[in-house]
Amino acid sequence: MLRKRIIFTLIYEDGFFNQSRNFRLQKVGNIDWLEKNYHFQDIAFSLDEIVVLNASKGDKDLKDFASMLNRLVDNVFIPVAAGGGIDSVADAEVLFENGADKIVLNSALYEKPNMVRDIVRHYGKQSVVGSVDYISQDVFIKNGVQKIDMPLDSYIKYLETLNIGEVYLNSIEQDGTGFGYDIDTIQRISRIIKLPLIVAGGAGNEKHLLEAISKENVDAVATANLFNFIGDGLPNARKYLIEKHCNLVQSA
Amino acid sequence: MKVVIVDYGMGNVRSVASALKFLNVTDIIISSDEKDLNKADKLILPGVGAFGSAMEMIKARGLDVALSEQVIQRQKPVFGICLGMQLLGISSDEGGVTEGLSFIDGCVSVFNDEYVTVPHIGFNQVTPKSSSRLYRDMEHSLDFYFVHSHKMVSNSDIGQSYCDYSGNFVASFERGNIAGTQFHPELSKTNGLNVLKNFLELF
Repeated sequence: MLRKRIIFTLIYEDGFFNQSRNFRLQKVGNIDWLEKNYHFQDIAFSLDEIVVLNASKGDKDLKDFASMLNRLVDNVFIPVAAGGGIDSVADAEVLFENGADKIVLNSALYEKPNMVRDIVRHYGKQSVVGSVDYISQDVFIKNGVQKIDMPLDSYIKYLETLNIGEVYLNSIEQDGTGFGYDIDTIQRISRIIKLPLIVAGGAGNEKHLLEAISKENVDAVATANLFNFIGDGLPNARKYLIEKHCNLVQSA
Repeated sequence: MKVVIVDYGMGNVRSVASALKFLNVTDIIISSDEKDLNKADKLILPGVGAFGSAMEMIKARGLDVALSEQVIQRQKPVFGICLGMQLLGISSDEGGVTEGLSFIDGCVSVFNDEYVTVPHIGFNQVTPKSSSRLYRDMEHSLDFYFVHSHKMVSNSDIGQSYCDYSGNFVASFERGNIAGTQFHPELSKTNGLNVLKNFLELF
């Protein structure tokens, strides 16, 4: 049976990894800090996937982001999805060449559907994750600052027409609060979506992960909370979910 | 041992190289140059992307001829991963029928999304066939990471092991010097690294 997944998301901005709260970023540490406190090479065995998002404002420095990615993925034998500010097929190529197994698109889904189709045509739909930031029925692009004219449910249906591979559904309201996922919305979207669904925003502890991962059509739960899962937090959360009979890979 | 990761400009070859390095392969070359292929002890054909685009890129680089020379004439071990595995087969119906390299009798078609979510993404279990070299010394049901929308099926004995996703499809094959996995061994934690190690040691 296809397993569900636990995903850890890293928010990167101008050389630093960040704790995000309702999309306001707080610098936590650079890649040395991350390696020291998260021992990524070890912890990757407790995860099923990693997402790395470049939230640098303005003219996002792709080269700098790509070289960080290149270092991050060394000796990490799980899939890594990377994105943030991808504006061309060439941008996507840079990330693939530097260790991304999939790329994550957000604003481009709305603004550049033809570019999205080009990437899908070349790299296959399974290589493209569509990231959606929302509050209630409102969808936002551009790092959560620009509201678009399509309600969430319609937007999900629109994304399916772009032929992408998965959807990463992120609640701006719950983001970084540690209060738990937006279960109502997750439940509603999981009933209408045909694509694999990753949910994000709000996980503060392993009970929150359990609540969301137990929903039938939720394929993966993501957390970006650098504080709540530090040290052994992620291996312990995984152990807890397996004890609760979640359908996860049991071996390292 | 010299291992060449065949680079035809599609997808992430870096994680394959990283896995080989982890397995103490010292001589890893990422190349599409026939001279490098010629000097290699083993070849890895990775691949992420669409079948049609991939075959175009392969042909544009003359790699179809070069690979045939190495793999069929010279019987050099080759390991296809994901799309690379599918390319070793006869054909795919992804975006219209495209011919593959045809080293292995297997055809690729799309999953039916009436019954399951497509793409098939995540860890799923493979039941290794008995006397498999790829899964030597491993358990009977093993998790590996899959990410694909198309599956290979075959009516021939190509040494296949199966995974079930609304029916069995070819999760791996192994026949003589030719092997392939639909899953990504380089993204499948310890199990995946073991499969790669077995390929390096036993093919």
